[in-house]
Amino acid sequence: MIRFENVTKVYKSGTVAVRNVSLDIQKGEFVFIVGPSGSGKTTCIRMLLREELPDRGRIWVAGREIIHMPKWRVPYLRRNVGCVFQDFRLLPNKTVFQNVAFALEVIGRPKSVVETQVPQVLDLVGLAKKRDNLPGELSGGEQQRVAIARAFVNRPLILLADEPTGNLDPGTSQGIMRLLDRINRTGTTVVIATHDAALVDWMRRRVVELDQGTVVRDQARGVYGIDAATGPVPRTEVAARRS
Amino acid sequence: MPLSADYIVRETTTNLWRNRLMTIAAVLTVAVSLALVGAALLLKQGAANAEVDWQRGVQVTVWMKPTASTSETNAVRSELKQLPYVHGCAFWSQTQDYHEASKLLPASEFSALTVSSTPSSIRCTPNQPQYATAVYDRFVHQPGVYAVGSPNSAIHAMEETITILQWVFVSVALVLLLSAGVLILNTIRMAIFARRREVSVMKLVGATNWFIRLPFMSEGLVQGLIGSAAAAAIVLGLHALLNGLANPDQPGSVLSQMRLSGWQLFSTDAVVVVIGVLIGSIGSAVAIRRFLEV
Repeated sequence: MIRFENVTKVYKSGTVAVRNVSLDIQKGEFVFIVGPSGSGKTTCIRMLLREELPDRGRIWVAGREIIHMPKWRVPYLRRNVGCVFQDFRLLPNKTVFQNVAFALEVIGRPKSVVETQVPQVLDLVGLAKKRDNLPGELSGGEQQRVAIARAFVNRPLILLADEPTGNLDPGTSQGIMRLLDRINRTGTTVVIATHDAALVDWMRRRVVELDQGTVVRDQARGVYGIDAATGPVPRTEVAARRS
Repeated sequence: MPLSADYIVRETTTNLWRNRLMTIAAVLTVAVSLALVGAALLLKQGAANAEVDWQRGVQVTVWMKPTASTSETNAVRSELKQLPYVHGCAFWSQTQDYHEASKLLPASEFSALTVSSTPSSIRCTPNQPQYATAVYDRFVHQPGVYAVGSPNSAIHAMEETITILQWVFVSVALVLLLSAGVLILNTIRMAIFARRREVSVMKLVGATNWFIRLPFMSEGLVQGLIGSAAAAAIVLGLHALLNGLANPDQPGSVLSQMRLSGWQLFSTDAVVVVIGVLIGSIGSAVAIRRFLEV
C-alpha cells in the first residue's frame, strides 16, 4: 500500500530530514512511526501527501508512484489518503456536520451521498448528537474526532495521522487510538507519526523508529523504546512475524 | 470532478459579501473608468457622424478685391469653371454681397461698408470636400483675389478639439482602469487570505485546482461585470441626456449632427462590458497566480 525506496530528503538549509529510507507498509496495517522531534516523521507524512518531494528515491502510495505523478493528479491521490493533524485544522465557522460534509462537497460528491455518509461517520466517531455544534464548542478530543471523521468520510485507502494526540490528555488520547483502531479494522491502512510513548506501548502495533532521518528499528509488535524483554526485531523478521 | 454552478454561485456570493467594502470600491472604480471610456467612444462616433454633415455642405468662396478689374474677375471665373474637381460656381456681385452683409454684420460694422467697398465673390462647390484646399492654394495669390474662404479650417479646429478631448478621456480612463484592476486584484488577495484555512483543507481532502480557483476567478469577473453594467447604464444615460439637449427644430446644431444610431450605441455598450469583464478576469487571474498556491 505504501512503499519508500531509498528515499532521501534534504531541505534547502542543508538539514537532512530523511536519509535513504526504505519501507514497505501492507494494506490494512497499523503502523506507528516514532522518534524524537526532528527525526523525520512529519517529513515522511508530508511526502506521502506529496506536499514535499524527496531529493532521491521513489515512493508508491496506493499502487501509484507519486514522485513523477503530474501535478494535476495530486488531488486524486489525496482522495485516497485521509490525514489528521495535531491542530485538527477544522473550519471554525462551520458546524461539525458541515466540516465533515465539506470534505465530500469539494470533491464533487452529490448531496445524497453527503447526507448518507456524514451521519454514518459521525456515528462511528461518536459525535452524532453534536452535529450542529461549532468546533469552538467542543473539547480537544471531540475536535480531533471531527477531524478523523472528515479524513475518513470519503473512505480512503490510507489514513495518516501526524501527532494526532499531541494536544490531548492521556485518557482522551486512548479514545482516539481506539477510534483509529476501529477504522483500521474496516481495512484502512493507518500510519501514525507520534512521540507518545505510552500510546505506542499500549497499542503494541508495528513500530518504525526514525532517528536523524534514518530507520533504526522496524518492529512488528513493538513499543516506543527498545523492548527490554525481546530487544529490537530485525526488519527482515518483520514480514515473517506479520504473516 | 463536476463543478456545480450552485457551488460557484454560493462561494462567489459569500466572498463578495465578506469583502463588501473592497468590492464596492472596485465596482465603482470600474464603473467610473469604463463610463469615461464609453464617453470617449460616444464622442469619437458622434464626431465622425457630424463630420459627414459638416463636409457635405462645404463651399469655397473666392473674394475679389473691390478694385479688381472685370478682366481679372472673368479670368478667375473661367479658370474655376474649367477645374475638373469643381462641381459648380455662382457669381455674387458687389451689390448682392452688400445686401447679404447687411443681414450678417452688426450695424456698427455694416455702417462703414459701401457697395463700392464690398468685394464681389465667386462661390463654388467642390466635388469632394477635400478639394476645397486645392482651390484655396490655387487662387489665394491670384491677381485681383482678396481672399479665399473655406470652412475646412473650422472643421479641422473642431476635429482637433474633439481628438484632444478623446485622448484626455482615454488617458484618464486608462489610469482608472489600471486602478480598478489593482483594486480587484487586492480584493481577491484579501478573499484568498480570509479563506486560507478553507483552501488548505480543500487541498488536503483532494479538491482539484480549478475547484479551488474558480470561486475567486468568478468573484473578479462579477466585480468587472457589475462595474461595466453600471458604466453601460451611465453611457445610455449620457446619450439620452445629449439627445434631449439637441434641439429638434435646429437639425444643423452640433448635437443633432453628432446623434448616434442604435447600433453605434449598442456596440459602445458592448465594448464597455467586454473591457469590464476582461479587467475583472485579468485582476483575479493575477491575484490567483501570485497568492493562491494549489
